[in-house]
Amino acid sequence: MISTRILTRRRLGTAAAQHVPARRRRRTRGFVQVASSAAADRLHLNAFGHAYLGLGAVVICVLFYLALAAQITQSSYEIARLQDQQRQLFAEQDQLRYQEATQHAPAQVQHSAAQSGMERTTPHKYLTSQAVAINLQAPIGAAPTDSTPLWQRMVAAVVERVVGARNVMAATR
Amino acid sequence: MASGVFGFRPPGRLERATAARLRIFTMLVVAVLLSSVVWTRLAYWQVLRHAQLAQQAAAQYREVVELPAIRGAIFDRHMTQLVINTTVYSAFVSPDQVPVGQRQQVASALSSVLGVDQATTMQTLASGRKFAYIQRRFSKDKADHLRSLKLAGVGLEEEQQRSYLPGLSPGSTLAANLLGFVTYDGKGQYGLEAHYQTQLAGTPGYISSYRDLANREIVLGSHTHRDPIAGSDLVTSLDANVQYAAEQALADGVKKARAESGSVLIMDPKTGGIVAWADYPTYSANNFNRTPTALFKDNVLSYVYEPGSVMKVVTLSGAIDAAKIKPNTIIDDPGAVYIGGYRISDWDGANHGKVSYTYVLEHSLNVGAIKAMQAEGHKSFYRYLQSFGLTQPSGIDVAGENFIAPPPGDKMADSQYATTAFGQGIDVNMVQMLAAVNVVANGGKYAPPHVVERIGNRINPIMLQPQRQVISPKTAQQMTAMMQAVVQYGSGWTSRVPGFELNQGGKTGTSQIPVKGKYTQNVWASYVGFLPANKPRFTMIVVIRKPNVPGADQDWTLNDGYFTASPVWKRIAQAMVVSWHITPAHS
Repeated sequence: MISTRILTRRRLGTAAAQHVPARRRRRTRGFVQVASSAAADRLHLNAFGHAYLGLGAVVICVLFYLALAAQITQSSYEIARLQDQQRQLFAEQDQLRYQEATQHAPAQVQHSAAQSGMERTTPHKYLTSQAVAINLQAPIGAAPTDSTPLWQRMVAAVVERVVGARNVMAATR
Repeated sequence: MASGVFGFRPPGRLERATAARLRIFTMLVVAVLLSSVVWTRLAYWQVLRHAQLAQQAAAQYREVVELPAIRGAIFDRHMTQLVINTTVYSAFVSPDQVPVGQRQQVASALSSVLGVDQATTMQTLASGRKFAYIQRRFSKDKADHLRSLKLAGVGLEEEQQRSYLPGLSPGSTLAANLLGFVTYDGKGQYGLEAHYQTQLAGTPGYISSYRDLANREIVLGSHTHRDPIAGSDLVTSLDANVQYAAEQALADGVKKARAESGSVLIMDPKTGGIVAWADYPTYSANNFNRTPTALFKDNVLSYVYEPGSVMKVVTLSGAIDAAKIKPNTIIDDPGAVYIGGYRISDWDGANHGKVSYTYVLEHSLNVGAIKAMQAEGHKSFYRYLQSFGLTQPSGIDVAGENFIAPPPGDKMADSQYATTAFGQGIDVNMVQMLAAVNVVANGGKYAPPHVVERIGNRINPIMLQPQRQVISPKTAQQMTAMMQAVVQYGSGWTSRVPGFELNQGGKTGTSQIPVKGKYTQNVWASYVGFLPANKPRFTMIVVIRKPNVPGADQDWTLNDGYFTASPVWKRIAQAMVVSWHITPAHS
């Protein structure tokens, strides 16, 4: 039954446009179904066929993985070899650096100089010195005052006589 | 009620049911007990022992390889490398993998390349052991030669080693006592190597990977990799040429004086940077494992001694700075004074009469030094000891500083104040003493002593600190003139460097060595000085321990600082004048 509302839509030409997405969805789904069924028909694949196909894909992946692993392993061997070579070169560089530093070491320089008959000269000329500006003829004043109490001096004198070791640091100069 | 022939009554329905329940219950209990045993055991392995087992499992499949960090190098002020990392090799053998028929050939080859005893090597090869070292730590040349021979069962192991520059004799390396050494497990011992262990060592990295059953690395497994961070290089204030000259002069001086040992320390007066640090006898840091441990001790920093008359520089500086005396103040020196019950005399015991303080320093008179201290007062004297850095460690950036603190000022007896004034009864190390005298050379400022100027690309923070003013520049100038007089007219005459006789300052020191509380006839002889006096380029102290100059048993003054230490000072100063192009015109 066609209602007046439908008639109005048909007249305005809007109904067809609204139905397009629906038809497209149906057409897309249909294409996949049709294509898969067509391929299955042509290849005549049954359930086992599908299984073999899947297995083949897995084998290809495994082979690809193994090839990649072999390549990486080969690279790792190459890296290890180069690292070993690098270590050797570093060791050689260290040794050369040590040789260089040793050649410039003061001990080696002096040794080489001595072998060549070279010697460092030392000047031996002295400048004249000036007389000390102190009047050593000045009269000697009174004896120094000793603030040590008399009893301490007496004890020191007694101990000095008995022990003989109370003179301290006389050698300091 | 029915009963059997023998009185046995078959169980009824209820009893049978009860018995069945009992059996089921018993079975359940047994099952629960058995399962709980299993569960308990599971819990034991999975919970209690989890960590240990996980660790053991990880050890089987996981491998962590440490990547050692490169240890920082050490340079002198001219960027001469003093310490270099080198690769050395150790040869090992797996005797069980050497076929019997090849043993003779392998032993012969090892003997010819490494110089090891062939018979001993044959014994090792015949031992059937799994592993044995043949020789440790030899050079790359030998390793290359050995590698080219492709000997069965013989392997090489790479190791890192610190190599130091050759020193004066084949048995020594340059600045060994200052630099220290590094053990085979990478730990710095003594000197700079120990003090800067953290900065020099860096941070090791690692590679963590997985291993299969055959112990091969699983290349596609997950790896964790952290790069090592190399240690920082140290740039020191040392001068390798001056260091060598100092070691040479010191060795000759110690031998000539027939002394027990000697040390030299040279400082840059403006910065406090150490220019040379020499000890004799010394050792080879390249052969530390074959060196007696007694030689490792660094006498510059680890040996405390009584400085003797060198201390008079500090005493007189303090008294002048406190305005209690002047260089030309005249005092009376009768040759001896009594203090605290002790009779303290001058070195010659003679009455010197009226003398100035300049004369006191020139002729090293103990009584004059005591009078200067008394004029200044105990409190002020002690305060100057503190300011000159003699009551605390120097704090220099080298491991192993030894220090004996003097008693607090109020605990010191009068006699100890008196003896301290001329350098006995107080213990210091050479770094403390040189830094104190350097105050005079540095215009009255205390320059903190240090060896390292740059750590990596950073300046040593100690160099950025302001220097404290200990005495006024005027006092320093006066004291410099007095020390010049010591060289020109006094006990320092043996240190005169040709061309600088009027322009160098110094002071001798000789102090008796106490043993078990009593002073002996053995002495520490020292000399400290700087040059040129008006614009010092270096300050140097030389200490000779227990000199025994021929004839000294008759005349002890032959062991004096002016006779043993001062000539060494002069010889090194001459070398520095040439090496640093110091000219009288420059001064």
